[in-house]
Parts: sequence; structure tokens; C-alpha cells
Amino acid sequence: MSDSNKPRFTLTLGHLYPAQLNLYGDRGNIITLQRRCQMRGITLRVVPLGIGDALAPDEYDLLFIGGGQDREQAPVSQDIFDMKGIGLWAAVEDDMPVLAVCGGYQLLAHYYRPASGPDMRGLGIFDAWTIHKGANVPRCIGDIAIEWNGSTLVGFENHGGRTYLGTAKPLGKVLKGHGNNSEDHSEGAMYRNAFGTYLHGSLLPKNPHFADHLLALALRRSYELSDDNLKKIFPRYLSLKERPAQEKRGRAAKKNGASGAVYGIIPTPIDLDDTLEWEAHASMLERLGLRSAARAALRHR
Amino acid sequence: MPEKKPSLPGKQEKSARQQKSEKVTLPSSKVRQANNSKRSSKRQTRSLQAGLAVMGGRAAGAISRRLRLGGGTSIAGVVAQRIYPDIVNHLSSQLAYGSVLVTGTNGKTTTSGFIAAILSDAGLRVWRNREGSNLMRGIASALIIRARPGGNLSRAGQAISIFEVDEAVVPHMVEAVPLRVAVFTNLFRDQLDRYGEVDSVSTRWHKAVSALPASATLILNADDPAVALLAESRQDNVVYFGIDDAALDLAAQGISPERHQTIDTHTCAKCGAELVYSLRFYSHLGHYLCPNCGSARPQPHVRATSVTVNAFDQLRITVETPTRQGEIVIPLPGFYNIYNALAAIAAAQALQINWEPIVSGIQQFKPVFGRGERVQVAGRTIRILLAKNPTGFNEVLRTLFSEGEKRHVLLMLNDNIADGRDISWIWDVDFERIAQQTTMLTVTGTRALDLGLRLKYAGIDAQAMNIVPLTPLRAASKEAIALPRGKETAHAVSNGSVTSARKTRPTAKPAQTHGLAYALDSALQQTPVGETIFVIPTYTALLDIHRELERRGLTPRYWEEKGP
Repeated sequence: MSDSNKPRFTLTLGHLYPAQLNLYGDRGNIITLQRRCQMRGITLRVVPLGIGDALAPDEYDLLFIGGGQDREQAPVSQDIFDMKGIGLWAAVEDDMPVLAVCGGYQLLAHYYRPASGPDMRGLGIFDAWTIHKGANVPRCIGDIAIEWNGSTLVGFENHGGRTYLGTAKPLGKVLKGHGNNSEDHSEGAMYRNAFGTYLHGSLLPKNPHFADHLLALALRRSYELSDDNLKKIFPRYLSLKERPAQEKRGRAAKKNGASGAVYGIIPTPIDLDDTLEWEAHASMLERLGLRSAARAALRHR
Repeated sequence: MPEKKPSLPGKQEKSARQQKSEKVTLPSSKVRQANNSKRSSKRQTRSLQAGLAVMGGRAAGAISRRLRLGGGTSIAGVVAQRIYPDIVNHLSSQLAYGSVLVTGTNGKTTTSGFIAAILSDAGLRVWRNREGSNLMRGIASALIIRARPGGNLSRAGQAISIFEVDEAVVPHMVEAVPLRVAVFTNLFRDQLDRYGEVDSVSTRWHKAVSALPASATLILNADDPAVALLAESRQDNVVYFGIDDAALDLAAQGISPERHQTIDTHTCAKCGAELVYSLRFYSHLGHYLCPNCGSARPQPHVRATSVTVNAFDQLRITVETPTRQGEIVIPLPGFYNIYNALAAIAAAQALQINWEPIVSGIQQFKPVFGRGERVQVAGRTIRILLAKNPTGFNEVLRTLFSEGEKRHVLLMLNDNIADGRDISWIWDVDFERIAQQTTMLTVTGTRALDLGLRLKYAGIDAQAMNIVPLTPLRAASKEAIALPRGKETAHAVSNGSVTSARKTRPTAKPAQTHGLAYALDSALQQTPVGETIFVIPTYTALLDIHRELERRGLTPRYWEEKGP
């Protein structure tokens, strides 16, 4: 890796409720972000944010929230509202990348209506809501592939609730599997740089382009990196859309008042070997009968 | 309970359903059964149904075996239950010594194996359902193969049955079978796609326990908060087992809790508060206390007061029970087997078995079917250690890698229904600890690529492992890119015979770099003669490796093994 005295990019990941929402291998997402940063000489600090902890948006560069069981989700739902709501809102409105998986995704929508009992309110970051239609309606369980950003995402889903989107944009279109509600072929939701999804399995290891997308968004936001410099760090899958106008406000002030270039961090081009990632990705697509998508995925190798 | 000799189950042990349906007595001998024809016509209908069910089931099983569709272990039960839904109750109530139920996420097979060994050493005739047939249909099959076409069990006198039961099936079993003993080993996260969440299993167990007859002994793991609290609604006839050796604490062994972070039940089942542990042995097992409502680990009746590791697969434990204290050597690898042995001891004592058969049953126990069994292949030793969920996997890795010795390892990950279709749990296994600890590492199974990826992110160089998928990537061949896998062509190494996969395809195709046969061959080839390969499969991968070894003439077909 790079010399220790050479200035490095540092990112801080806030991991929400690691003790409560950790059901579906969410650790895999964290490990993936950590390793992919490490291999590029980026320091990724992971800060657990448990029940009772406040969320100060300035202290983080990206956020992750996973899924859990109903018993664990109830106290979390209260805490996310009381302790972290305002901070999370501010972070999302300020374009911080946020990944919310499964139960975490549900918590960031308006509400979760269980088969019986009162609604569990969410933050309403995504204009979406979730309804559990009772024990007689089967859970959405199984391998899933969706179309995302001109490419594919693969994972596993396991949820009882059906999520319906209001004005929120879906993360992608279901190619095989259930997605939000197994009715309208939508999967997940997006708002600014916040992404909600039912895909676990874990999500990020087999979808390296999505992992890098999150990291690129975080670096761009926190260090004001130019697209050229971002391309050096992420030579493969960078497909960032036009920057939102307000992102040019100079957020880098937070990082010692200097943008990446001024700070002297000129990223050295690093191309990670993602052969195995794409083979695992393609093999899932093949199992789902998506042959041409599998061939396309292998071309990423 | 205080009787000395193994006693017959009393009348009160009949299930609720049985009491409803007329005065059916427990026919415990052939003589009794011969007189049955004189009973009421309803009774005759039942026997007729049972007879038909037995014949139908056995025929289906025989056909399945003949056609080599598999062991035919489940199909017999499926057919019989279709013909006569109450067949399990009908047959099991004929057992002279009643039935024992063993359930839990991990350790069912070994625990019921220990109990079976103890009971047969005590002179009883022990019946068990076969490995893997732990759903209702498998239990029906186990009884049907021992029943006569008349619908009666043959040689039911002196017989006791041990049913190893899938977690989710427990309520059905409690309803269908008059139980004398029910053992709950532990509750871990397992196969979320099939069972829903851990909490839903726990709910079913609570239901089952409240339906258990008062005369039945409930045996619970005191160290597992999810299991110990099952006795809430019950005062009498509860026996707890647990470990009281503080030296086994994870912290005392220098294992950070972060490493072992697969902690399933970390909240109090009563009030939801976070539990506090004074000792933690593995995952969420240990000495715990709820700071909020005061629920705490109950004092175990059967406890291991000290544990010493004699060898990799020799654990010496000092056991204390209300009536006895003694030393027992557990001849199996893995710390979790201490719990299995304690559970078996508790069950045996509940059945009034003497100490000698308890000791001999455990000490002379032969590891079976994926629980450390040993197979010799081409001068190498293969030891198979089943790992079906994150906790089980972590414990197997801890067993293999705690001595700092480098190992030869073949990992097999399948995602068939019996394994759980969701493999996210591999990200909760601490594969980080095996980095640089293996001299040979081969990865195979239906999800070999996913497991390979997990290992890569655990810091294992992709070049340092041999990833062998079961089927080739079609997309890759279309692209005409050969997978650069498997350093060289492995030759079939087995006891003299070339594998039939090769026989049937002697064409000059490019080197086959996929399939279980290839994975096993390359693992063998990369392991020096005289060394041991540790095979760690998930459940159906275990069946696969058995089938492969059997194809090479190395192990008996498991469904042909004779029961004790």
C-alpha cells in the first residue's frame, strides 16, 4: 500500500445499529467497503451508531443501515426517530451517500404497517411505505436480479412486507425475483444519494460497481474531487451523473479547508482485480436464466 | 422419577389427541396386538388405515430405492401420511419405553447419537429416525420401516425411540407423539429463508413446551438464554445442563468478542433488554443476566465443572449431576460437543439409566456422518465436519485452527433447500482466522464462487485457493475465455479406480475444472500422502461428498447402515 507518511483520503462510515440490525450478513457490506478502500490506500473508519447515540452529520462521509427481526426493529424504529432523525435528514439532504438494506430500507420510508398492531413509523426519506398483508400472503424470498444504471445488481431477498413507492424513484427494475412488492417490477428506492434496497446476500461483495459507486459519491462529496481524479481512483465503473448544483458549495472546508487536489492527494490509478466478483455475479445471473446479462457482467472482468 | 429401573410410560403420557379418541390402550406386546381384532369397529378402521399406510409407504420406499432415486427415507413417510395422517401417533404409542425428542439448531444428531449409544448400552432396543429425515415425513418413515403390514410395530417391547426433530416441526411432534423426554440443545440463526426469523422458531417452541405432558421431562440448555427461558410456564420436571468452567470463557482465551460477533440472542426474551454476560463460551452461550428484569441463567443440574483438551478430538470433562460426579472423555472434536454430551447425560438420567452405560455410551461413541468421521482415501485421511450455519462454522474453524497448526481444507457450500437458499450468513463466519493458516484450500459447492469471494475479502489471496464450481459458467465459454482455475489437471486419485465421470467422458475435451469429483481430486493431489484433509460441507454438500466417496467405494451407503 501507499507510504504511511503520504497523505491519504479518509472516509468515515456510520454503521447504524450494528447490534440490532445485522441479520442478513450485513457485515459483508462493511467488509467489502473496507477492503476496497484499503486496497486503494483510502482509510475507512467504521463508527458504530447504536441505540441512544446521536447522529452528527458532519462526522460522517457515508452511512449504512442493515436489517433485523421485528423484535429488534421496534426499539430501533423509536430510536431512529428520536435520536437520529434530524441528523439523518440533514445528511441525506446534503447528498451524503446512504445505503439502507431490508429493514433499514423500510425504516427510511414513511411507515411499516404490520399484519396486526400499530404502524411503525419511519423517517420518510423515501416517499414509500410498507404493508405486511398477513401470514397468509407468502414472504418474498429468493434470489433476485435487477437492472441498475445500465448494469445489473444481484442478491437475495427475504421480506414479508410489500413496499409501494410514492414519488420515490426505484433503485432498479426487477429482472427476476420479487422486488418491492412483486407487483410493479420496481425494486428499492432512491432519493438524492440515499439508496434503499431489499437485496442482501451480501449486496456489495458481488456488486463491486455498486460498492465503488457509493465510495465515489462519498469521495466526491467530501473531497470535491474532479471527475478526472475520481476516474483515476475508480477506473472501471465510474458512471456518476451530473453533479447537483449545490454539491459545488465547497464542502471540502470540512476536510481542513482544502480540496483533494490542493491538499496534495493526487490519486494514483489503481485498478482492482474483480474477476471473482464478476464471476460470482454472472453465475447468479445464469442461475436465474439471464444469459445475456451474465455475458455482459463477465465483460467487466 | 425416583424409580430405579427404566419404567414404562404411564397412562397420563398419552397425547391429548389420543385421549380424545376412545379408550385406546398402549399395546406393548405382540399378544396384545393379536387381540386387537376384537375391539370396536372404529378401532378396526384405524388399524386398517394404518396397515394400508404402512404397506403404501413401504412400497413407495422400496420403489424409490430400487430406482435409486435416493435413500427412499422420506417418500415412505410422505405416502403413509397421505393414507393415514395419524400414522405417527398410531405407531409411536406402541413403543414400550416411549419416545425421546431431541431438537435445536445445532447438535441434534450428535446428542441423539449419544443418547442412543447410552440406551443401547443399557440394554434397550433403540430406534431412531435417520439422519436428515427430521421432518414429520422422515419420522413417519422411521416408524413405518419397523411396522408390519397389519399396522403394528414389530418388536415394540423393550423399545424406545429417539426422534431427532427439526426445530420447526417440534409442535407437531409434541402433538403427535407421547413423549417422555424432550431435549432442547440451542437456538441459533439458521436458514432464515425457511423458518422465518429466529423469533418465530422460539414462538413455536414456547407453544410446544406448553403442550408437553406434565409427566415428560424437559431438558434445557441453561447457557442459552433462548432455550433456558422455555421453562417459564413450567415448574416441575425441568432439568438444566450447562458449563461451569470459567477457563472456557472467550475473553479468558483471548478471543475478542468482535471476532465472534455472530451473537444471535443478545436480548432478553422476556423484556427485550440487552443481556449482560459474565462468561461467554461461544456465540450467545454463556452465563448471562438481564439487568432490566433480572432473568438470569438458571443453575444447571447437570454441569461440566472442568474441561481439558487431551487432543484435537479428546475432550475430558468432569460432570456433576444431582446423583453423581465423574469424568468422561468425549471422543469428538469441537467444544460444542460438551453441550451435546451434557444433554445426553441429562436425558439418560431422566430415563433412570445407570452411570456405567452413560460413560461407555459417550466414550465409545463413533463419530458418524459428517461429525468428524474419518475416511481413508489414497493414503490421505479425510475428516468431515458438517457446518450448516454461522455458529456451527465458527466453532468448526475454532476447533481446527486454535492450535496454530496449518491445515489442508476443502470447503463446500451448497444453497439447496435443506441448506437454506440464502447464503448471506457466510459473511458472518470468521474466515479471517484461516488466512495464512491453510496449506491447501479448495472451495466447491453450488455457491463455490460466493464462498471464494468471501475468502478473498477475508484476506486470502485468490491465487492461494482453488475454486471449483460444480458447473462451468456458460457465459464464460461463450466468450471463449477459459477460466484459469485449477493449477493443473488433476488425475483421479482414489482407491485404485478411476472416477466414473472420467470413464464416461474420455474425449479430448479441455481439462475439466469443475465438479465435485474434480474438486476432491485436486484437493487430494495438493495434499501430501499421510496428511489429513478437513472437509467442511453444508448439509446437502455433506450428502454430495458422501455420494462421491461412495462412488469410489469408500463409505457404505448411509441408508443401508444398520440401526443399532
